[in-house]
Amino acid sequence: MSATFYDEVQTLRKRYPDPLSAVLPALQLAQERNGGWLSEATLREAADALDLTPAYCLSIASFYDMFHTEPVGTHLVEVCTNVSCALSGAQDVVDAFERSLGIEVGGTTEDGSVTLRTVECLGGCGWATVVAVDNRHRLHVRAGDVAGIVAELGE
Amino acid sequence: MSTTTPEIVFAGTEGGALTELADYEAVGGLSALRRALGMTPDEIIAELNASNLRGRGGAFFPTGRKWSFVPKPDQVPKPHYLVVNADESEPGTFKDREIMLRVPLRFLEGCLIAARAIESTHVFVYIRGEYEREYEILVAALEQLRKGKHLGGTTIVVHRGAGAYICGEETALLESLEGKRGQPRTKPPFPAIAGLYASPTAVNNVESITTVPPIIEMGGAEYAKVGPESSTGTRVFSLSGNVVRPGNYELPHGYPLRDLIYEVGGGIADGRSLKAVIPGGSSTAILTAAEIDGLTLDYDSLAQAGTAIGSAAVVAIDDRCCIVQLGVRISQFYEHESCGKCTPCRVGTRWTTQILKKLEAGEGSQADLDLLLDVGEKVNGTCLCPLGDTAMIAIASYVAKFREEFLAHIEEGGCPFHGTSSLEGIVAPTDVHEAHHGPAAIHRPLEVVA
Amino acid sequence: MTELVKVTIDDRELEVPKGMGLVETAEAAGIEIPVFCYEPRLGPPVGACRMCLVEVEGLPKLQAGCTLVAQDGMIVRTAATSERAASGQRGTLEFILVNHPLDCPVCDKGGECPLQDLTFRYGPGSTRMTFPKMTFDKPIPVSPLIALDRERCILCYRCTRFSSDVAEDHQLIARNRGAHSEITTFSEDPYRAPFSGNVIELCPVGALTSTQYRFEARPWEIQDVPTVCGLCPSGCNIRATTREGAVKRVQSRNHPEVDGGWLCDKGRFAFPHVRADDRIREPLARGPLGLAPIAWDAALDRAEELLRGADGSVVTALSGSETTEIAYGLATLLRRGAGAHSAVLPESTSAALDAFRAPLSTIGDAELVVVVGDDEVVDRAPVVDLWLRKARRAGAEVVTIGARGETPAAPGAAADALASLVSSRSALGQRLRASERAVLVWSGPGGGGGARLAEAAHALGFESKPGCAAFHLPASPNARGVAEAWACAADEDDVAHETIGLLVVSGDEAASDPGVRDLAERADAVIAITMFHSLAVGWADLVLPGTAALEREGTTMNLEGRVQRLRRAVTPPVPDELAWLARLAERFGVALSPHAAVVFEQLSDHLYGGLDLEALGDRAPLPARASYAAPDPGTTPSPAQPPAAEGEHFVGTLRLLRYRPLFSGPQVERVAELQFQRPDGEVTLSAPDADRRGIATGDTVSLRSNGTSVELRARVDRRLVEGVARIAEEHAADLHFDVEVVKA
Repeated sequence: MSATFYDEVQTLRKRYPDPLSAVLPALQLAQERNGGWLSEATLREAADALDLTPAYCLSIASFYDMFHTEPVGTHLVEVCTNVSCALSGAQDVVDAFERSLGIEVGGTTEDGSVTLRTVECLGGCGWATVVAVDNRHRLHVRAGDVAGIVAELGE
Repeated sequence: MSTTTPEIVFAGTEGGALTELADYEAVGGLSALRRALGMTPDEIIAELNASNLRGRGGAFFPTGRKWSFVPKPDQVPKPHYLVVNADESEPGTFKDREIMLRVPLRFLEGCLIAARAIESTHVFVYIRGEYEREYEILVAALEQLRKGKHLGGTTIVVHRGAGAYICGEETALLESLEGKRGQPRTKPPFPAIAGLYASPTAVNNVESITTVPPIIEMGGAEYAKVGPESSTGTRVFSLSGNVVRPGNYELPHGYPLRDLIYEVGGGIADGRSLKAVIPGGSSTAILTAAEIDGLTLDYDSLAQAGTAIGSAAVVAIDDRCCIVQLGVRISQFYEHESCGKCTPCRVGTRWTTQILKKLEAGEGSQADLDLLLDVGEKVNGTCLCPLGDTAMIAIASYVAKFREEFLAHIEEGGCPFHGTSSLEGIVAPTDVHEAHHGPAAIHRPLEVVA
Repeated sequence: MTELVKVTIDDRELEVPKGMGLVETAEAAGIEIPVFCYEPRLGPPVGACRMCLVEVEGLPKLQAGCTLVAQDGMIVRTAATSERAASGQRGTLEFILVNHPLDCPVCDKGGECPLQDLTFRYGPGSTRMTFPKMTFDKPIPVSPLIALDRERCILCYRCTRFSSDVAEDHQLIARNRGAHSEITTFSEDPYRAPFSGNVIELCPVGALTSTQYRFEARPWEIQDVPTVCGLCPSGCNIRATTREGAVKRVQSRNHPEVDGGWLCDKGRFAFPHVRADDRIREPLARGPLGLAPIAWDAALDRAEELLRGADGSVVTALSGSETTEIAYGLATLLRRGAGAHSAVLPESTSAALDAFRAPLSTIGDAELVVVVGDDEVVDRAPVVDLWLRKARRAGAEVVTIGARGETPAAPGAAADALASLVSSRSALGQRLRASERAVLVWSGPGGGGGARLAEAAHALGFESKPGCAAFHLPASPNARGVAEAWACAADEDDVAHETIGLLVVSGDEAASDPGVRDLAERADAVIAITMFHSLAVGWADLVLPGTAALEREGTTMNLEGRVQRLRRAVTPPVPDELAWLARLAERFGVALSPHAAVVFEQLSDHLYGGLDLEALGDRAPLPARASYAAPDPGTTPSPAQPPAAEGEHFVGTLRLLRYRPLFSGPQVERVAELQFQRPDGEVTLSAPDADRRGIATGDTVSLRSNGTSVELRARVDRRLVEGVARIAEEHAADLHFDVEVVKA
């Protein structure tokens, strides 16, 4: 990952009364450094820095939706499809992304540039439909906005 | 906004978000902290008790009483912790997010006062991982307080979650914060006695904490004058769904539900009519349009109507919505978010999704509907935490209130909306830890303003 | 006195100690609260499976009975008297069965399966689940020893709790969330940890099964023989499952004071060595074409001839794995019959420690434990490692002093560290002195077999405090029993011989000991008593077949000083040692019974104050403490391993620290499925030593000393003391004391 990763994790561990608390921030850091997902090698490296087993790190990483244990595209597009967004047309937004990217939900474009996911409530119910693009939330997204977003990602 | 009650949580934000310390101090920010520093912990708790502030996360437990359960340091000579639950994930709810965006410094000021009340110098803010911008705003606000030497000896750590609804349950949150899988603990012991790192811990919601500085400022008794006696103060209501003006609105408790939708929210959009209302987040029982008349947004009124104020998230649903589809989507949510610890919830939420999908497809029978309700009864009240309970309460309420719609699916052998339902084609969340994606690629975060 | 409280369960008023678990409270009254996930040995209850739902007066929701404790005035209704509880319980069982396959007829657990039993008693007769059950590949290997059937798994999390909360190996985990949760290890890694097999016993369904036991037997055609493990000095109580005269599996028999119901993988999985391909089934004698079978009478003739020919210049090398009775039989023959008094005894435990005797469970209850020595506890006496972990989890301070200790000490320096604890200047020593619940553990060679430990414990005033104890972890299973048996057979002193006329090698460990092999170089003839052909070939003139602990009647003394009874689980393919020792003894005119029970009676008069074999019972008691007698420096047992060498250290070289891993030895070597547990060919280095040499984990390094060199994989161990290269015995080859380590 990087030469400083081990030391950065030690800094994170010192932030907490019990260094085990640094698991989430350390895995977040590891994922960011590894192109958005936690490979086996990344988990092993994180485990070493955290003084934990790789298995423990996997048990944590696989519990939370924001950790990816499979490769993801350069960009991650996540459409909220929970009730408030669904009532406001999230299905159409998903359809538009599928058409525009030529992939199905859960898939990644062939060139590896974009992964499309549907997710649970992103906490923007009054601003439906919410789409997270690389963790930054776009609000009030309509199907008609999708082509523009996809174009931006291609730039 | 059609109310004359002044905002309390959002006070001073007329000119925009108060993210700069100078701006915040210009509207009286930090004066509550200064006042609190001159008070004993017991005096702060007494003020909270006088205000009758009750938890804004959904459980509505009196905040002052919660703090009074935390033993004094000489009784339990361990570090005491304040943990703030900023893991807002209940579908329909987006109020804490706006509080952190608009009044981050008031929120942090509340943290410092609350920490003093429980004699803690360690504060952890557990913010859901999806709130990246809110995280950055909090960290920036914290940095300003640190530079301004306002933290005293207290450390505040903003800890990011990583995507798990269950971590909004306080003991699951503590597990997650300790670096474990976010699964609820058995109670007792309660967090007040043995919470974070088995030490005395108060766990409070963002809105509750942000209400603390104004209470200290105006006095608990004054605060208690707002709203009905059993539900004092204001509440930030998250209004979403098929209304003209969705958004967060700070209103006094006791505000009429109908007025929130029709006056504040501008009524139902697209000329449609109201069919149903989820009054307090997805975990609360649904109301029919006819039932909302006369109901007010407070604990008692909604409890009497057989539902709950919950997280004060009001979802208005118009007449295009197929309630069976709503049931499927809600069940999918709870299935996806069940932590997997307790058997009934882990298995039951999956089973109810299967039954509901069968019903929705018109392949179900009366026996399936009975089975759905019975599975719900077997989950409700048999697990460690309320996740399964609330899932089943919500689903059971859809059947109770819209039984004829369920029966129509059975009788017609399909959805009576014939593809016109607003929820037609609902999409389940991607199971990230089952899915197989494409090749690995280099990740470049893209800066997009929220 | 514990306060008694009144609890009412199903209208029956009970008086039990306050805080007693509700499941146990009900059980005491003959009321069953069914459970799956509840297992008190795994730590605090988690209330996950929800099988134990009960109604408690005053609480609105049904409660998990396993998480409740007896409180005064508590009124509980179980499913027997509460329709609500019964309904909840029926629901839970239905949910558990929703995805559980109906493959009981081909499931190893069938017939001894809690899920099967509870379904029979409480379950629905049919299912309302009409959707496809979740299906998985099955079974998949968790390791070469354990198979996982995810379809059968009910996600009670007992196994993962064992891994994280008891053994603390954190290898077996739950992956994913909710309905997708599944038990797994990391990637393709096997569950490689000293205690992995316990998860098989803990699994309440047939999800985790033993690959050794798979399809080997049905519960109604097996017999369980209660005996004691003979592979290390802990003496864990075990149950050997046999079918048609063969051992099929070994399980824990739970002696709460000794093993707490846990068993290491060596004790559990090494039993197939009794069926090893190179098992010796008849006596062998060296002939022109090497070792060749001979008849028993001829073998005894040959033995007699060799013993008489050596004329007393006989040296006997004992393994320490003999039963006390076999050792006594050997001593009777050799010392009283043949006048052969010289012996190489295994590293034994000083009798001075009897003044600090206590059950091993004392460690779990301690508040302060100091472990001194260069060897990992788990390598010497594995179950002690679990007691130490239990203590630490309960809040005890566990101080380790040694090469991998939190307080680092150079190899061989641990004895000094121990001595310094006695000093009034030692803060730790002061706390040991003040504590009522302190334990000292010696884990390594040297130290006079615990004599130095006894002196320290005495100086710290341990003998008057029942909660304080001192344990020496010897290198072999019955070293103390063997040494005492050898001593009590005769009281003549050794006579030093210039030459060795005959070397008698007793047991497989002695036969595989390089030190014993060196002695053989100096001997005119060698008699080897061993189970395995490859341990006899090339050096023995006469080979007499040995037997395994599982094949023996007799007793052993474990490291606590507890005399425990071995029972013959299976008949050995050869006459046991006592049978032919008795016949040989007769030729030398000394009486020796071929029956272990009779030999024990004689021994017991000498050694155990006439202790009755029957009194050992199923779970043997621990004798009372003896009064302290300072160890005589002259008679402290000689350590089997050489003490740390003194002398000059060459600049730039590292000191070689050899260790004998838990998974090593003649038994382990003969079990194919245990091989993955053996240590990798690697050398561990401290981080500073590795950094100085530009070595990282995974690098191949070359180690040189004294003209020999070895290539091994490097592993950086942040716990290892500087200046040391730590290598498992089997990979250290002929490396000597100072090794040069360079990146290859």
